[in-house]
Amino acid sequence: MQGVAIPITMVAGNSWMHRINPLPKLLFALGILIFSFATRNPMLLGTVFAVGVFLALTSGIWAQYFKIVQIFFPISLTLITLQSIAPAFPLPWTAIATYGPFTIYQEGIYSGLSMLLRIYCMTTFALVVIMTSHPSDMFVSLQKIGMPYVLNFIFTMTLQLIPILQNEFSTVLSAQKSRGMKGSGFGALLPSMVPVFVGAIERVQQLSISLESRAFGSSGTKTSYRNVTFAFKDYLVGVVGVLITGGLTAWVLLDPSLDWSRTLQFAPEVALGIVLLSTVGFLAFFVVAIFYIVRA
Amino acid sequence: MTSTALIRCEHLHHVYARGNVTALNNINLEIQPREIIGIIGQNGSGKTSLVKHFNGLLKPSSGRVLLDGQDTAKRRVQELSADVGYVFQNPNHQLFAKTVEEELEFGPRNLGLSQADIVERREKAIEFFGLQEYRTHHPYRISFPLRKLVGMASVYTMQPRVFILDEPTTGQDNITTRTVYRLIQRLRDEGKTVICVSHDMILLAEVAERMIVMRNAQIIADATPRSVFADSAIMQSTRITPPQVTEFGVQYMQQVTRPLTESGLKPTVVLSVQEAIDTLFAQDQK
Repeated sequence: MQGVAIPITMVAGNSWMHRINPLPKLLFALGILIFSFATRNPMLLGTVFAVGVFLALTSGIWAQYFKIVQIFFPISLTLITLQSIAPAFPLPWTAIATYGPFTIYQEGIYSGLSMLLRIYCMTTFALVVIMTSHPSDMFVSLQKIGMPYVLNFIFTMTLQLIPILQNEFSTVLSAQKSRGMKGSGFGALLPSMVPVFVGAIERVQQLSISLESRAFGSSGTKTSYRNVTFAFKDYLVGVVGVLITGGLTAWVLLDPSLDWSRTLQFAPEVALGIVLLSTVGFLAFFVVAIFYIVRA
Repeated sequence: MTSTALIRCEHLHHVYARGNVTALNNINLEIQPREIIGIIGQNGSGKTSLVKHFNGLLKPSSGRVLLDGQDTAKRRVQELSADVGYVFQNPNHQLFAKTVEEELEFGPRNLGLSQADIVERREKAIEFFGLQEYRTHHPYRISFPLRKLVGMASVYTMQPRVFILDEPTTGQDNITTRTVYRLIQRLRDEGKTVICVSHDMILLAEVAERMIVMRNAQIIADATPRSVFADSAIMQSTRITPPQVTEFGVQYMQQVTRPLTESGLKPTVVLSVQEAIDTLFAQDQK
């Protein structure tokens, strides 16, 4: 059953990224999030995404990061396919080719590519932050800047619950397979999802009782076992992060020439090639996934 | 190694990819049909990892596990489940159906049995586990000990040849614990092989014919419960405490009946209160 869980959790390590305070990293990721929504320019989004990949590579989290990308990349390819035939883009649309009821539009491909890169910009930076920061350090850091204790607790507890629920799902799946459950089809999901959801609800109920019995919600200053300090490099990363992401966002908002949505025209062959590759990529992933689920 | 083994582990190694933890290190083991086996050891010694190889939930990193001569790594868990039943420690991981009856029917349905056979097996299980008044209850609306019984019953209905019980008496009340004893006895009478992973030494002393002791991913002893409990080196190295009556018997032999032992009376390791009474009575007679 190993390998079922997707490791969206901290990866132990001592890389340069691990040593940075979680707060400036979070600030950086937040800036990237705002920037990603501010532009559709594929070149800028692609460049920022490449920087994110570089950070993942140099932070000792590549294997875990790549595992997640391996699963989500083929799924997200559907964005290009779906956008190419039904663009989420203002009219008019430029038709490239028509196949029966489906017409492929230039703007759709542009929109699909932008969405794909936007998602990967945001998730890459978010994963770098999550995988290189201890949840408790994040908790303490946020508390230091005045984030309400309860809100802070909910945020970090959610981060900690993700890997727990993933492991739970893996165990439940093992239990159902041990009783001969065939691991395919929607019907197979029910026997696995019910115990996970019921378990999650029970866990939350028990947690809330346990928290109350340990004075959660009481007033007064809260202390922590973990002590997170802000060094000069942490301030530097924070300031540089705000300047870079703020500058980028301001640039794309103020410079209309960066909106390539009406000027970037793919050659029909290239456009069709992109759509075809995306569709085949997703379908191949789908077939392989079904094969593995049935074989498991 | 004999060829009649039902389960055979050959140089079994297992390393968990996450954390690169060696869970099993060169395990060689044979389990014969109809054996009642207890597997003991400290937490993290490899007990559960070992038994999860028997029904294919874990695949060996190297080495082989054979069930009836067939490599379990080449068979799916769903296929193996017809032969090897696994009762999980936490019943909440198993139960999902709307009623206890449906829960008990889940396994036999997966095996493709006829409706008549499914109903027959379900009724047998309900009767044996005393679940008559809960048959239409939602499994999550009954108490935890009862849920544990439903978990066992849901595997019992599959009638596997090998029955693996993972910590069957942990957190259980007396009634449920007695049901576990009765279950193992019944499985023995039905000619099944039972493998019980447990920290409950009283249970194992009473039901197990053979004890496998694990430490640091290896088997350090494979003998009868009497021999294992008598071996103070094993007990100390694994920090396992024998049943109180066994400890009492050992202490009594050492301190009170030493003159008798020295005069030729063979020390006896007792496993139950009745055995202790019989032994003391026999010594008294001498």
